[in-house]
Amino acid sequence: MGNSISKMLDKIFGNKEMRLLMLGLDAAGKTTILYNLKLEQDVTTIPTVGFNVEAVTYKNTKFNVWDVGGQDKIRPLWRHYFSGTQGLVFVIDSSDRERIDEARTELTRIITDREMKDALLLVFANKQDIPGALKPEEVSRLLRLNDVAKDHTWKVQPSCAKTGDGIFEGLQWLGAHVQVPPK
Amino acid sequence: MAAPVAPQLYRQASSASNGSGLRTNGQRNFGDQDGSPQALSQRGSARSSIVTPAPYDGPHLRSQYPANSTENHVEYILVASFDIDRGSIMEHQYPGPISGDENMLAELMLPDQAHVRSMDWTIFFLHKDTTAEEEAREERKRVRKIKKRRRELEKAGEPIPDDEDLDLEGLDLGDDDDEDMYSESTADDSEGPPLIYVLNLVNTKQDQTVKRGAIVKAMAICTRHSFLHIYKPLLLLALEEYFRAPVVETLASLYNAVNSMDLSLMPRLSSLERNILQTSDVKDMFVEKFSVMIQQKMADDEHRLSQNSVPSSTDSPTPKGKYQPPRDTHEFESRVQYNGVPVPIKVPVAITPETVGDFSLVKLISTFATPHASSPQPFTIHPHLTTSGPYTHPIIVLINALLTQKRIIFLGHNQPSGSVAEAVLAACALASGGILKGFTRHAFPYTDLTKIDDLLKVPGFIAGVTNPAFAHKPEWWDVLCDLPTGRMKISPKIEGAPVTEGLLFFQQNGHGAHIAKEHSVLNGDSKSHPSNDPTGDTVFMDSVMNSISNRHGEPAVRNKFRAWVHRFTLIAAAFEEVVYGASALNIGAAETDEDMYNYGVGGHGLVWADEPTRMREIQANVGRVEGWRQTRSYYSLIRDLARTWEKGECVRGIDVGYQVDRLRTLRVGDAGAADIYMALARAVERAGVDFDDPDYENPLDPDDPDSEDWQLDPETEVRLLKREKARHEVINQLLCVMPENNGGLFYIGLGLFHKDVAVRQAIVGLLERINAHEAGRHFWAQLGRFAKLAFFRVKRDGENPQNRASG
Repeated sequence: MGNSISKMLDKIFGNKEMRLLMLGLDAAGKTTILYNLKLEQDVTTIPTVGFNVEAVTYKNTKFNVWDVGGQDKIRPLWRHYFSGTQGLVFVIDSSDRERIDEARTELTRIITDREMKDALLLVFANKQDIPGALKPEEVSRLLRLNDVAKDHTWKVQPSCAKTGDGIFEGLQWLGAHVQVPPK
Repeated sequence: MAAPVAPQLYRQASSASNGSGLRTNGQRNFGDQDGSPQALSQRGSARSSIVTPAPYDGPHLRSQYPANSTENHVEYILVASFDIDRGSIMEHQYPGPISGDENMLAELMLPDQAHVRSMDWTIFFLHKDTTAEEEAREERKRVRKIKKRRRELEKAGEPIPDDEDLDLEGLDLGDDDDEDMYSESTADDSEGPPLIYVLNLVNTKQDQTVKRGAIVKAMAICTRHSFLHIYKPLLLLALEEYFRAPVVETLASLYNAVNSMDLSLMPRLSSLERNILQTSDVKDMFVEKFSVMIQQKMADDEHRLSQNSVPSSTDSPTPKGKYQPPRDTHEFESRVQYNGVPVPIKVPVAITPETVGDFSLVKLISTFATPHASSPQPFTIHPHLTTSGPYTHPIIVLINALLTQKRIIFLGHNQPSGSVAEAVLAACALASGGILKGFTRHAFPYTDLTKIDDLLKVPGFIAGVTNPAFAHKPEWWDVLCDLPTGRMKISPKIEGAPVTEGLLFFQQNGHGAHIAKEHSVLNGDSKSHPSNDPTGDTVFMDSVMNSISNRHGEPAVRNKFRAWVHRFTLIAAAFEEVVYGASALNIGAAETDEDMYNYGVGGHGLVWADEPTRMREIQANVGRVEGWRQTRSYYSLIRDLARTWEKGECVRGIDVGYQVDRLRTLRVGDAGAADIYMALARAVERAGVDFDDPDYENPLDPDDPDSEDWQLDPETEVRLLKREKARHEVINQLLCVMPENNGGLFYIGLGLFHKDVAVRQAIVGLLERINAHEAGRHFWAQLGRFAKLAFFRVKRDGENPQNRASG
């Protein structure tokens, strides 16, 4: 009962809840982004064993953000987090040109999964502060998003997790585009 | 799943049927140890240095963990780390690689979110397959052992009776040796090879000098001992050492240290004795056994010294008085020398099945009972689970789920993995009560998403996870226990309960329901539960919560659940008899009811005030009983009961628990009470008598003072010792059904006031037997002053006029 009242209030005030899954290769900056969102400050992170999950509220939208470890051996686990995900946040280390192909392979595998067919795709072109980092346009081209994500609403957002630049813009885009409220 | 179990079943059955032969083996042990004058004289000298209650002439006592055992305390030491490029990897395994998937092990050793805490403990189990190679090794070992024993016997000049030769041959043919005679008492081998228990410690150290700022490493100890928590201090020291010296030698030194731990002075207890020790608070319960172990040890030491003039390098001569009996016999104290640090270790003496690690039932119960007490939430109804309706106590839902083999997940998001593991282990013990088995074997104290596919193949599991993703997958579980909120949830996708004969029987208009609706004959019967609590579980949980809030302690709570589980099994047995006509849980019930051995009483199982009360309670339990009847724990109980029966350890023809319960709860009247008292006294007096033996009624009395000069022929001696042992066991059984927390000997003591002098005399005899028993004397000590005075009065009256009626 209490639950349904709060849901009604949510409708009146336009409160939304959204489940995000944040993936990417190891050391791309996922956990730093998560804690920048949560704490609005730079934190020093260490490799994630398993996962992190935090709830972040931004402009009337509650984001439940799942951040899952990126080492290649544990990537097969990602699929367990797919169901119920409304937005995929894929984080790219823009300074690591050598692994952009590897990133594309992983992204393709995720976004074409049946359970992800309705998910929004936000790509953070992270680590923009490093000289020589790939520009957002280059990232979308190298990831072949026009092809890979043709059935999805997608955006590439340049970001710097350490300073927080671009992070909330990305979140705002997700909040604006989320379609169906969660059951 | 069923196929590999079948041969196991067969093997158990064959070993059980061989029970009588094995028992003779055990007795031979004291023949060669205590029979020789040499051994006696050595014990005589040893006795002076330590305090013992009485000189010991009984059988040779065995250690739970003999010093010469080929089995190590710890089998493997493992180290894994989290590699920033490759994820979890195994770094070292000592003494060799453990079989199985190395990656899987490394993942388990580095639990989810290990990076957010500096330290975390986990526990997990490994199911090691006994390969053909191992079996062959076991076989060789066994043959060696038999040959050795044969040589020993011959050397000692002991006559080898014919039947023993037969035994040896039987063993040669591949039957279990006497080691296995005890194995049921130490491990639950009922369902396959023993589990390997793994205690794991993971440390995360921030280190700016390394790439990405941290090192995550884990070290694990793999052991067959269920009390693996004793290794915690050692693992702390060793992992710290490994951060300093990340080499395999660090593992080796820990391995050698823990395996040099000496537990050889810890005596082996029978399952009844373990039960008595656990339910008792007496600090020196069975201290006699410990003293005997010390005497034996000192005799062995001296024997060795006198045999070889140069003591062997490994065993330095031990000073006398070095060994002390424990201050509290519930725990055996030892120490492990690691890196020059003597680490004290306390090993629990009485370990019940399904008790792994150092969990707390109080903690588990409080976690879920507190939110339920403040704001109860309704459950989805399920006949197996919500046995008291939608507001069934969550702990009862949990225990029902375990009994009916549901898929149970404990979720502790943002909690250390050690705390979910603890909850899983506590849950196993809760539903086992030390009686039922098969829970830990299907428990995954800590697991993660990587194992989900394997987990889902297990029918009915108890798993601990920290990943909240599990909560979003109701198809993965039947019951979800959320530790941070203390809420339990039944999955909307749970499979419904099948309609069974029993359910129909007790349904509306069913025969059972009809009887249950009748009014009780007795008015104001306190035992019958009010209509809103037909199972009695609400009253039970109230008493548990009362125990917790009054700080009665963990053992008191465990004993309550043990009693609950025991009662549940008896209700299930009664149910089977009502619905199906007989129950495998009541072996020998027919001969007990018919009083085939002339004890003068009949009946078995639970005591109810009258038929409607009985039917109402059974009806209230139908759901979970039917759910339980298809499970592993049900079948393993039947197997255990059958094995105990085959071994002939339990007294046949009388259900002592039932009779004592009648004294306790019913108004049986003078004549009824007299029958029960005489029957109980008879059960102890007649213990070990072979009813097929024509002159069993005329046994030699070992207490007869004249018999000391009597030269006993070996056969009679064996028979007497056998009787002594049987009487010991029967008294153990009696003590088990009269625990200290349930009045102790009070109801027996009442027999001293019976109007019939023969009954009073019989009770005096019975109490004397109990007082002469090593555990019984503590029960006697706790008997009220009033009863004790009556005892001495009756005894005096009996001695004065003439000889006592009974020998």
